[in-house]
Amino acid sequence: MPHILVVDDEQSILFALEDYFSARGCTVDCARELEEAQALLSNIRYDLVLCDLRLSGLHSVEGLDLVSFIRERCPRTRVVVLTAYGSQEIQGEARRRGVDAFLHKSTPFAEVASVAMRTLESPA
Amino acid sequence: MTTLAQRLLAPGALTVLYQPIVRLNADGVQLFALECLTRGPHATNAARADVMFDYVRFMRLEPVVDRVCVSTALAAAATLPGSPNLTVNVHATTIGRDPRFPAFLGAVAAEHGIALSRLTIEIVEHTHYEDGPAFAQALQCIRSLGPRIALDDVGLGHSNYRRMLDADADFLKIDRYLVHGAGSDPHRRAVVESIAQLARRLGAQAIAEGVETADDLHSLKDSGIDLAQGYLLGRPMTADELRTSGWLSRNSHCSVA
Repeated sequence: MPHILVVDDEQSILFALEDYFSARGCTVDCARELEEAQALLSNIRYDLVLCDLRLSGLHSVEGLDLVSFIRERCPRTRVVVLTAYGSQEIQGEARRRGVDAFLHKSTPFAEVASVAMRTLESPA
Repeated sequence: MTTLAQRLLAPGALTVLYQPIVRLNADGVQLFALECLTRGPHATNAARADVMFDYVRFMRLEPVVDRVCVSTALAAAATLPGSPNLTVNVHATTIGRDPRFPAFLGAVAAEHGIALSRLTIEIVEHTHYEDGPAFAQALQCIRSLGPRIALDDVGLGHSNYRRMLDADADFLKIDRYLVHGAGSDPHRRAVVESIAQLARRLGAQAIAEGVETADDLHSLKDSGIDLAQGYLLGRPMTADELRTSGWLSRNSHCSVA
């Protein structure tokens, strides 16, 4: 089963996604900071990263830095970005950096899971 | 939000394990020193040492966390019987960028009643770092206080020839990547032998890390290496496990296959 890293600074989102994917047989690790995610990615091979775009407040887009880090260090790992704020411009930048899918945070978990599984099954 | 750094630095958050570094004798092994291995809080990502220290490096918190690790290790080691020699890991960036680190080391050792001559500072480095004069001065200062110097992970990454020259180390710790399999791989064995020979030429002693098989151990002995560490010889232990293990009894000897 897939090994998933969930990255979000909101603990309630982390717990909910962790429980949802764990209940479906995935191995799930969680990180709340960019650097924590980077440290995990440096030592563990993940199939998929689900990450928020903003990891430390309303004005940062550290998720974009994480996408670049993943594309550089873990080219086989798929990335789905979840965000409540993504403008068209930021979405474009995220795709340019190599995001596999971009979802609004209000997307039902079932649909997030569906997109995640389709992403995992598509060729890298 | 409580960050992982805040959780790491909270009082009492870190724990220490001890792994024996042994001297290989004709009839077995003898405790040479204990490496103090710091672990992050249980049920956090920092419980894995590799993740914890990569996080520390990404956060550029090496000087702060190194101080807490050293303090925690020496406080815990103060309760061990037999006054064993101890090694503690410190980033090269800490030594080069924290001019008060040598004074801190002296103060914390005194606070816990640990003679500085029992200590070896293992220099670790995972990022490119250059500050020759400050690094050399701080290292000289540490050496003047009493601790010996070891260069960790020799053969990989930034523990390179330049660092060997700059550190003028008493010990070169040969990385486990080179040691593991040296018993059956002549190329690995050649590299290990060359580092052991280089250590002797530099006036240092080689310590082999990651010894897990009897084949590798015999290969090390044949290569003239008489200090070693690894699961075959002794796993990392808590202080309580160490007390009941027999390692701390005077002149403790164990035979190894």
